[in-house]
Amino acid sequence: MLEIDSVEGGYGSVQILNGVTLKVARGQMVALLGGNGTGKSTLLKAISGLLKPTGGTITFDGQRIDGLRPDLIVRRGLVQVTQGKEAYPAMTVEENLRLGAFVRRDRAGVRRTLDRVFEYFPVLRERRGQLAATLSGGQLQMLCIGRGLMSEPKMILLDEPSAALAPQIVLDIFRIIGRICRDGMTLLMVEQNVRMALLLAEYGYVIKDGVIHIEGPAEALIGDDNVRLSYLGGTVADRDRGLGLH
Amino acid sequence: MQYFLDLVIVGLSIGIVYGLVALSISLVYSGLDIVHFAHGEIYMLGAFLGLVVFQFVGAGPGYPLVLLGSMVLTGFVGVAIERLFYRRLTRAGGGYTFAGMGMIICSFGMSIVLQNVAFLIWGPKALPFPVPFGMPIEIGDIALPRSYLWIIIAAVVLMTGLHLFLKKTRLGLAVRAVAHNKEIAYLMGINVPLMISLVFGIACALAAAAGVLIGPINYVQVLMGIGILIKAFAAAVVGGFGNLPGAVVGGLLVGVTESLGAGYVSGNYKDIYAFLLLILVLMLRPSGIFGVDARVKA
Ligand SMILES: Nc1ncnc2c1ncn2[C@@H]1O[C@H](COP(=O)(O)OP(=O)(O)OP(=O)(O)O)[C@@H](O)[C@H]1O
Ligand SMILES: [Mg+2]
Repeated sequence: MLEIDSVEGGYGSVQILNGVTLKVARGQMVALLGGNGTGKSTLLKAISGLLKPTGGTITFDGQRIDGLRPDLIVRRGLVQVTQGKEAYPAMTVEENLRLGAFVRRDRAGVRRTLDRVFEYFPVLRERRGQLAATLSGGQLQMLCIGRGLMSEPKMILLDEPSAALAPQIVLDIFRIIGRICRDGMTLLMVEQNVRMALLLAEYGYVIKDGVIHIEGPAEALIGDDNVRLSYLGGTVADRDRGLGLH
Repeated sequence: MQYFLDLVIVGLSIGIVYGLVALSISLVYSGLDIVHFAHGEIYMLGAFLGLVVFQFVGAGPGYPLVLLGSMVLTGFVGVAIERLFYRRLTRAGGGYTFAGMGMIICSFGMSIVLQNVAFLIWGPKALPFPVPFGMPIEIGDIALPRSYLWIIIAAVVLMTGLHLFLKKTRLGLAVRAVAHNKEIAYLMGINVPLMISLVFGIACALAAAAGVLIGPINYVQVLMGIGILIKAFAAAVVGGFGNLPGAVVGGLLVGVTESLGAGYVSGNYKDIYAFLLLILVLMLRPSGIFGVDARVKA
């Protein structure tokens, strides 16, 4: 579904991605792991078109998408949910969701998708008329993921859905992401919560200094000492906290 | 009492024109993150283009057509200006970045360029805009000139139209999204560059409408943009810069203050009252009447 081959890119003259190669198969969930500032979000921006790659190729659904304008990439069915829960605070929950469906013209279909999103996240239905500014962090994250689903994409890029959330909420969100994947979505998920991400995903990549450092099936990576060593601090606590998913 | 009401009516109709220009400056600010100092000249251009259309279609029932024609023409001129000159600068970041500084200089430059272009085409003389509105309407003791009525009705219609467009339509939702966060708007599948053109075009059309509305009660001349720019900025700041309803309220307040000041105190200092109001509001409420956190603008 998505093939990234030696992609390079960065901000101005600072190169962050030094040739990243990775692959996501249709219907698969892949975890992209790595420490702070290693270029995970930068890679997602390169895929979604917010950042023009300076080298390499990105192929989605059989067609090159590198260098395409972001809105055209969305129209091809590839959506990014950014880090930092960036909803539109001055708009209502429903307006935010409708924005997610901006590329669609079929009203009935949009209403169906809206219902499906409300099924995944019932709290959004309760708050549909409320301004997004009044939501809690967890609800905002749900809104952002729901908004990503609204265009009925073929694939979603998720950037740290668990960041800065309480453990119980993190569990809820991961459970729903798992459901979304089982319902047939293809996902590339950036996470710092290594253990949880690897429990959910089938395959994992570890990025460091802008290149893929380690890769392998999720079960293999969970036991891999190198993966743990790539993460200093932080994640040990997450690991002890975040069980109970299975 | 009647004198007072006359002054208020005059103040409101001039004020709503200030409000219209302030509104369009605020629209550009919230949509493109630029403070557009050439907006007075867009207003001037709108008045001249209105005059051109007026000479073309003739007087009387053609006035709404004149208004519309000038709005469309000026809107397209605006879109061209933004595409050709501003886009390069705003693409580098606009707003509060270093590129934003360049943008401010650029819009000052554009203001001078437009003045000179208008000077070359239409010359230095103030031209009349002789729309025959007919006799004033008498309500009790008050004689309400139809031109003022026209201004108020047309401005209210335009403002309502803008409001409905932004709040009720799919495209308006996209415009608000672009105004608030361009990256996220892109990720919603919105063609951001197109929306930016649209916002700038609409803003220029509104400024043009203001020019056409003022035309018949003032003369049309090359330097007419300077005064209105300052008043509209005062209005926008009084209302809370970047806040759209605030711009309209600010405009009305500035207009009425000015009119009452000129009527009761002294007409010689007409231009001072707007700034007295500005200073007063800024002392009491530095963010303006409807000033909000910049993060929830638009
Ligand atoms: N807009 C930007 N302009 C310049 N440099 C940037 C910009 N955004 C990120 N960087 C730099 O690029 C590097 C990679 O950032 P990136 O956001 O991709 O990291 P990340 O892996 O997502 O980290 P985190 O886990 O903290 O989100 C960092 O060193 C960061 O400082
Ligand atoms: Mg990141």
